[in-house]
Amino acid sequence: MRRSLLLFFTPFIIFTWIFFGISQKGCDSVMQADAAKKIPFNHQSHVEKYGISDCTTCHGYEENGRFKGLPTIAECTTCHARDGVLTSDDQSIPRKKPMFDSYKDTDQPWESFAKQPDLVYFSHSVVMTAKYDDGRLKARCGSCHGDKADSTGTKMIKGKMLMGQCMDCHTALNLSNKCAVCHD
Amino acid sequence: MKEKVKEVKMKRRWGMAIDLDKCTGCGKCSVACNQENNMPIFEDDSDVPKRVAFLELMKVTNDRDAKFPDVKTAYLPKMCQMCEGNDPKNPNPPCVSVCPAVATDVGDDGVVSQIWSRCIGCRYCQTACPYEARVFNWWKPEYEGSFKKSLSTDVSVASRGTVVKCTFCSHIWKRERDAATAKGILDINAVLYTPACAGTCPTGAIVFGDLNDHDSEVYKLTQTDRAVRLTNPVDDVKDADKKKSLLKAKQFTNPKVYYLTSQQWLRDMMRFKKNS
Ligand code: SF4
Ligand code: SF4
Repeated sequence: MRRSLLLFFTPFIIFTWIFFGISQKGCDSVMQADAAKKIPFNHQSHVEKYGISDCTTCHGYEENGRFKGLPTIAECTTCHARDGVLTSDDQSIPRKKPMFDSYKDTDQPWESFAKQPDLVYFSHSVVMTAKYDDGRLKARCGSCHGDKADSTGTKMIKGKMLMGQCMDCHTALNLSNKCAVCHD
Repeated sequence: MKEKVKEVKMKRRWGMAIDLDKCTGCGKCSVACNQENNMPIFEDDSDVPKRVAFLELMKVTNDRDAKFPDVKTAYLPKMCQMCEGNDPKNPNPPCVSVCPAVATDVGDDGVVSQIWSRCIGCRYCQTACPYEARVFNWWKPEYEGSFKKSLSTDVSVASRGTVVKCTFCSHIWKRERDAATAKGILDINAVLYTPACAGTCPTGAIVFGDLNDHDSEVYKLTQTDRAVRLTNPVDDVKDADKKKSLLKAKQFTNPKVYYLTSQQWLRDMMRFKKNS
């Protein structure tokens, strides 16, 4: 009796298990938790080898202060020249990356992990230029993104950033927490 | 030790003056508004009760049965009047306090915001608004042809079942502020902007600006005798003492949108007074 009951329920259990698996995958892709990365990118080695100390070297701003996000192939190939050397003993020379050959200069073949939903409008440059009276910056890249410079991958360090985190900072810094400050 | 945080005080109080004597009723403001705020062209747009428009161009006439030469007509662009209640320092528009989802709120610049992605569509605010400035979005947004390519990236698309309204194009202000910061202008009060309707009006009937700045064109216009606000009964009370006691006893809407007209019949219409 016991055994037949178990046999009876097995398909349901398997079905449920598969169903949860699929829906989790779906949620992940909707929430950008596993965005497709075309290249393994090592932040740490870029910082150490080439001495880049400023995130805006690659993740700059547009002229109007909006964040540019991920660099384009053109920006990568300014260092990793398309006609550069393939191998070199000198570690500080950026080498040619054959993988870029299949892309145009304007391409951005990687997807962002840290993506704001469509209804959020906030300016990185505004957050990054806000200062205390004594001239210290109110926020740094790491405040929200974690220590990216020391990471060897592209995955989010601090996990998904939820609105509560934005609001905590705004409260602590006496900034307005009205919806319309960031949403429209 | 607690950090001492510098507080930047907002000095602006955005307001608008619309010259009804200049308005020809061309409707450009309404079109520009819909385009700016990503409102699709709905099938039923000629059907007034079902139309979804932030800015309604109303045709006002003194008497529907009047014949030439007694008939008089004017066009009245009507959007959210940005009510502030009795105290501009502590704005209290009728629509804000009723929202259970905090989808509508009033900012420190006096602009009543509306976040459609947060709205649950209960329509309390629509009931509370004395100006019918809010519209319920009945339809799923659908954009024909290449319309989609011209969508503004600064405004989210209002989905079906939410309440939408004019926000004085506050996204333009945010954009201007961001651009100013990028240029190194960190003073929030140094930035001015023009909403889509004011920028597009061919006769210059819509003037937008800062009501706290007494040198601004909009402030000067609102101080003239021609200025009239839509049904705000406290404006009619000329006696200062009575006005004061009235303001204490009752909340008025005190809109920040002023209409300018020298035509008496139109002023009376806007007050819901009987035609003189
Ligand atoms: S309809 Fe939307 S904005 Fe209006 S009161 Fe309800 S939730 Fe708030
Ligand atoms: S006009 Fe209506 S929607 Fe606008 S602030 Fe006043 S009550 Fe709110």
